Amino acid sequence: MAFLELANLKKSFGNTQVVHDFNMQIEKGEFISFLGPSGCGKTTVLRMIAGFETPSAGRIAIGGKEQNNLKPNKRNIGMVFQAYALFPNMTVHDNVAFGLKVAGTQATEIDARVKDMLGLIKLDHLADRYPYQLSGGQQQRVALARALAVRPQVLLLDEPLSALDAKIRVSLREEIRAIQQKLGITTVFVTHDQEEALSISDRIVVMNAGRADQIGTPFEIYNTPATRFVASFVGTLNMIEAKVVDPSANRIQIGDQGVTLKQSVAAFKAGDTVSLALRPEAGSLAESAPCDTKLTGQVVSAHFLGSVIRTRMNVGGNVISFDMFNSPGVTPPAAGETVTLRFMAADLLVIRD
Amino acid sequence: MKTSRLGAWISIGFGAIYFVLPLIATVEFSLRMRRGAYSFDAYASVFSEAQFRETFGYSMLMALLTIVFGMLLVVPTAYWVRLRLPQIRPIVEFITLLPLVIPAIVIVFGYLRMYNSSSILPLTGSTTGTNILLVLSYITLSLPYMYRAVDTAMRAIDVRTLTEAAESLGAGWATILFKCIFPNVMSGVLSGAFITLAIVMGEFTMAALLNRPAFGPYLQLVGANRAYEPSALAVIAFSITWLSMGLLQLVSRFHKAAPAKS
Repeated sequence: MAFLELANLKKSFGNTQVVHDFNMQIEKGEFISFLGPSGCGKTTVLRMIAGFETPSAGRIAIGGKEQNNLKPNKRNIGMVFQAYALFPNMTVHDNVAFGLKVAGTQATEIDARVKDMLGLIKLDHLADRYPYQLSGGQQQRVALARALAVRPQVLLLDEPLSALDAKIRVSLREEIRAIQQKLGITTVFVTHDQEEALSISDRIVVMNAGRADQIGTPFEIYNTPATRFVASFVGTLNMIEAKVVDPSANRIQIGDQGVTLKQSVAAFKAGDTVSLALRPEAGSLAESAPCDTKLTGQVVSAHFLGSVIRTRMNVGGNVISFDMFNSPGVTPPAAGETVTLRFMAADLLVIRD
Repeated sequence: MKTSRLGAWISIGFGAIYFVLPLIATVEFSLRMRRGAYSFDAYASVFSEAQFRETFGYSMLMALLTIVFGMLLVVPTAYWVRLRLPQIRPIVEFITLLPLVIPAIVIVFGYLRMYNSSSILPLTGSTTGTNILLVLSYITLSLPYMYRAVDTAMRAIDVRTLTEAAESLGAGWATILFKCIFPNVMSGVLSGAFITLAIVMGEFTMAALLNRPAFGPYLQLVGANRAYEPSALAVIAFSITWLSMGLLQLVSRFHKAAPAKS
């Protein structure tokens, strides 16, 4: 049995349903990210786990115990908010000690636990500071220590890095992951940043319009997106419209060029249109590049992006982007030039809507 | 000097004369009790009167009770409206503004009609009951100032997120309100308290019609029967108000120096 179970969760605000039949099983110690654009329902699911929103239907269970009727303060769930939410009237020490004091823990035990937690986030020298005397990154680390101090069953992180600058975000997300692995705490992390989700999660739930479009490891989500939405939301992806020629042989046609897919298109009929996805980094113009498939087209543009050159080419009405690593010997193709893109057929994915 | 700046200085000068001159005249007059010399005789006379001490002490006590019970009403109300019922905020704001548009005499006549000795709740039938009624009426009078001061302080903190953070750490409502919210709106609470103190110390209508020995009716009584003492009392009353305003400024400056970031 999974440690955290979300079964058939639904949530409506008035006549608007924001979460549709959400199902998820999370194992103990797993780090799960809910990834999706604003308004996709990821924070609502998180808030239902925390108890701040009541599900319209469905079941939430932690360790086999149903949580639906428990108040937020009885769930033993640690939460870190985007806006830090440190108590401005309390020092760092008192903020971290707050949950322990509420629980009636002995003073000596509180001091020891606070010291441990501040050591964990490497801020023990700032114990007497007030929140306004800390930087954003420091405040968020204190908020993390405060949430962990009560030894919660589950840690919920609601876009904790969104208010921080780019450099701090990277270092703090690595710190969060390291602490999570050290403590082995089951964690649910909400973000709209795909890089964040891909870099620190055991599994990712890509959410779209209140539904989980795909649940999988970062590798699965990136390499084999299940839907058009996942494909377009995670990373840069070429969407190619093709015509099915022979479903039984997985033969399709892009413009007037035939391609044999590795994935099955048996569910389609000859003449049907099928959506395919190809990552920009999967193709190459180099003749020596390993490939079993080629597409020829005209270069539309070539943009120098520093470490890579992103070239856009037209293949039968589809504009396909691909990246070449920059090196002194590489000359970007000129617009209008005819080029051949080489790639493995396995990289061409059939996408459902 | 530019013409616009000269105009501004002239305006300020006129304003200062309009406000300061009567005050200087009052202070000067209060010092002229002894013939041919300036003295504090009028002040000595005021302070030596038992009635002054009694009425001043009584009004101070009433002000204190008004502040305590007023805040116990206003802080949870403002908190609840911000957290759970933001849609009724305009209604609550309208209700809290009513004491500004309904004259105090109308309110007190309403109270006398509702709580007289032959009513279901005969508060005016006993001294304690009347004192309670007076505190309640002062709470009503200070509601517009108290509510706004507290509500403004709450706007500066993220009430919802702080509440949820405290809840997720296991805190109940009382702990959240008194340990997480109340200390962070203290500047608003103190601002409201000082304004309330200033209002209650000079209030006449409620205390006079409820026949309580407050400072306001005493000021009126002395003003009607003496020459120099009313000026001394006016200066004392002004000083109390100014002291309150000064403390208010100090509190807000202290709050600015240590902003409550959430």
